[in-house]
Amino acid sequence: MKEKAREVKLPESGQWPDRIAPVVLGAGIVLSTLGFLLAFLWVGPVYGASVDGVELIGGSMVSQMLLISQKIFYFHMPVAIVSFIALAFAAYYAIRFLMTKEQRFDSCSQVAMEVALLFVICTMITGEMWTRFEWGVWWTWEPRLTTYLILMLIVIAYFILRNAVDEPERSATYSAVISIIALIDVPICFMVTRLIPSSIHPVVLREGGMTADMGICLAVCLLGLLCVGFALYRARFNQLRLSQRVEAMKQTLEEQQ
Amino acid sequence: MNPILEQIYSTVIPSAPYVIAAYALIWVALLVYLLFIMRGTKKAQAQMTLLEEELAAQEAKRSAEASLSTSAALGEDKVS
Repeated sequence: MKEKAREVKLPESGQWPDRIAPVVLGAGIVLSTLGFLLAFLWVGPVYGASVDGVELIGGSMVSQMLLISQKIFYFHMPVAIVSFIALAFAAYYAIRFLMTKEQRFDSCSQVAMEVALLFVICTMITGEMWTRFEWGVWWTWEPRLTTYLILMLIVIAYFILRNAVDEPERSATYSAVISIIALIDVPICFMVTRLIPSSIHPVVLREGGMTADMGICLAVCLLGLLCVGFALYRARFNQLRLSQRVEAMKQTLEEQQ
Repeated sequence: MNPILEQIYSTVIPSAPYVIAAYALIWVALLVYLLFIMRGTKKAQAQMTLLEEELAAQEAKRSAEASLSTSAALGEDKVS
């Protein structure tokens, strides 16, 4: 049994990811700020509906409306991708928990789910702002929006269930199953706009792809937000481990008294 | 303003509040979560310091009691 426990390498605070986390956070802040500046100052504008004539602007003939709302896309897509990656990590640690019954993996899964929820909320906020302006409504039962709402509800259900079950191992087991279910919804969310032709949610390839400047800006924003997500994950994991140690110490003191 | 230019730029001002809100709310959400982590860490660190002091005090008390009982036992041996 001891040999088996020794074989499983447990994630712990103070390991190498924590040593690089402050640098990664700094890089994340710099890159996402740079991405924000590139989106507004460097990337070319996107045009919408045609107007009643043509005008020369900045050396090119323009005959369509300028779409500033499209600038939301440079953060909307990266935060959605970071939420998917966080969900993948949560499910990975959930599977490891189910295989080993080691509480540390459950803690990792819980923190990854928290980060996922944070980025899911960011995706919803940015999406809602764009939808309200472009479609004139706060909400519509469009396939992508609906599947993503289901994903958000699954993630919220994870935390409700976690707090509802008192016994730690049972709570961790149920939570692990929910985080795996959440991951199953990820490819459905991603593919639904391609599978259902009536979907009105924009798809980059269907809209004619991206220009090089758009792609660079998107990559910078994505890298920046990935770094921020990683740093937040490590900071929260350290805090959770510290709280767990405090609880263990309290228990030791109570036993001694 | 030229009516065509007016049409071209007609969506810029109305969309600005939504664009600003989208970017601002992302950073607010991330900062709130960071503050939540920092607050939790500070609280846990303070608790940890208190508990460590309590544990050290208990251990000192226990070792003092142990040395007292040892010396008392040695004293009894000498008397007998």
